Amino acid sequence: MKSWKEEELIRCPICEAVTIDQGKKNICRRCNSKIYQHQKFQTEKSWAFLITAIIFYIPANLYPMLVIKQFGHEEGSTILGGVIVLWEMGSYPVALIILFASVFVPLLKFLLLLYLLISVKYSLGNDSKVDKHTLYYITEVIGPWSMIDVFVVAILAGLIHLSSMEMVAGTASTAFALSVFFTIMAASSFDSRLIKEKR
Amino acid sequence: MKTKITSDQLDEFIICHKCHTLHKKAFISNGSKAVCRHCKSVLYHRDDALIDKGLALSITGLILFILANVFPLIRVDILGQEQVITILSMISRLLESGYYIVALFVVYLVFIFPIMIFLIYVTLFFLLKTAQKEKLVQDLLILLSKILLWNMSDIFLISILVSLVKLMSMLEIHIGLSFWTLTLFVIIDLYMTRSIHIGELWKIKEEIYREQK
Repeated sequence: MKSWKEEELIRCPICEAVTIDQGKKNICRRCNSKIYQHQKFQTEKSWAFLITAIIFYIPANLYPMLVIKQFGHEEGSTILGGVIVLWEMGSYPVALIILFASVFVPLLKFLLLLYLLISVKYSLGNDSKVDKHTLYYITEVIGPWSMIDVFVVAILAGLIHLSSMEMVAGTASTAFALSVFFTIMAASSFDSRLIKEKR
Repeated sequence: MKTKITSDQLDEFIICHKCHTLHKKAFISNGSKAVCRHCKSVLYHRDDALIDKGLALSITGLILFILANVFPLIRVDILGQEQVITILSMISRLLESGYYIVALFVVYLVFIFPIMIFLIYVTLFFLLKTAQKEKLVQDLLILLSKILLWNMSDIFLISILVSLVKLMSMLEIHIGLSFWTLTLFVIIDLYMTRSIHIGELWKIKEEIYREQK
């Protein structure tokens, strides 16, 4: 009977079974899914998605997210502009939710992914105390939260369209939705086997 | 743990989804759960009535989701004119104004994936209960684990609340019937994703079809 050491065992991301790490061509023993299939690329795919997401994040902050057309004149508000307006209106909890979801979460995800991608390739001094598995888990869990602003814009634009007052989505909503999409892709294409901490 | 693990022992182990610590599965009594010794997150549950419970919850969830799409979510009065919104009217409005990419994301994240997930759950639990079509069950479990991440109906519910607060100062707003059915749907959805792990469904599946053979 063949036997394996603890370090050679991995968790199948599809069916959650304990399976054996076979290097570059992995097939899960239970669900027969191809898992962690990269011939030459290990971090490159994740890097590509992450850089795309960061590029889309720039127009997402510069262009208006929501355009309000009222009595003939148009007024656009950016993400940060919207947060400031809400803060001045006195809706502090909502202003904080938007600030958290649209500014804090994307930036945190970029930084965490950058740190993970760099630290698995180059040693960054004494970082063995950092629990990278938990960091990776956090990047996966907080991802969807940044969609809040896009959904809010979709709801407002769908609800208010009269001749006297109209709300339409702005350029930033497309850029922001794409940015969120690519950060989620970057997180899910990250090869968590590269994290070699003692378990 | 320094010991070597042979191939027939692999099923006795589980790796924590959060911190990737390897654990040997321990026997637990019905209704209890096992937690990771390192990060305290739930590893697995034991629920002898999981299939019946899952079937009941997923049918309820599916009905609630259909109702959430039939009636208006929010209703506003602007200068005597009444405006209503449903999930689908919101998407068609985005398409009309030319925001195809945003519309595509919204239609997938809050409509197609949630309804797919619940249709898969209903089919899955029904097939497990009647113990037929093992291959289909496997394919559905694989598909389910791939799309579970992309269900954002809970985030959508928070977005509705945020937009209500944004509009409150300007207009008169009424909460529609669908808002409540969507809230119930999200509660069921969250409960199901928390309490039903895909790994447990695979284990149950293996036990059911092994008995049959």
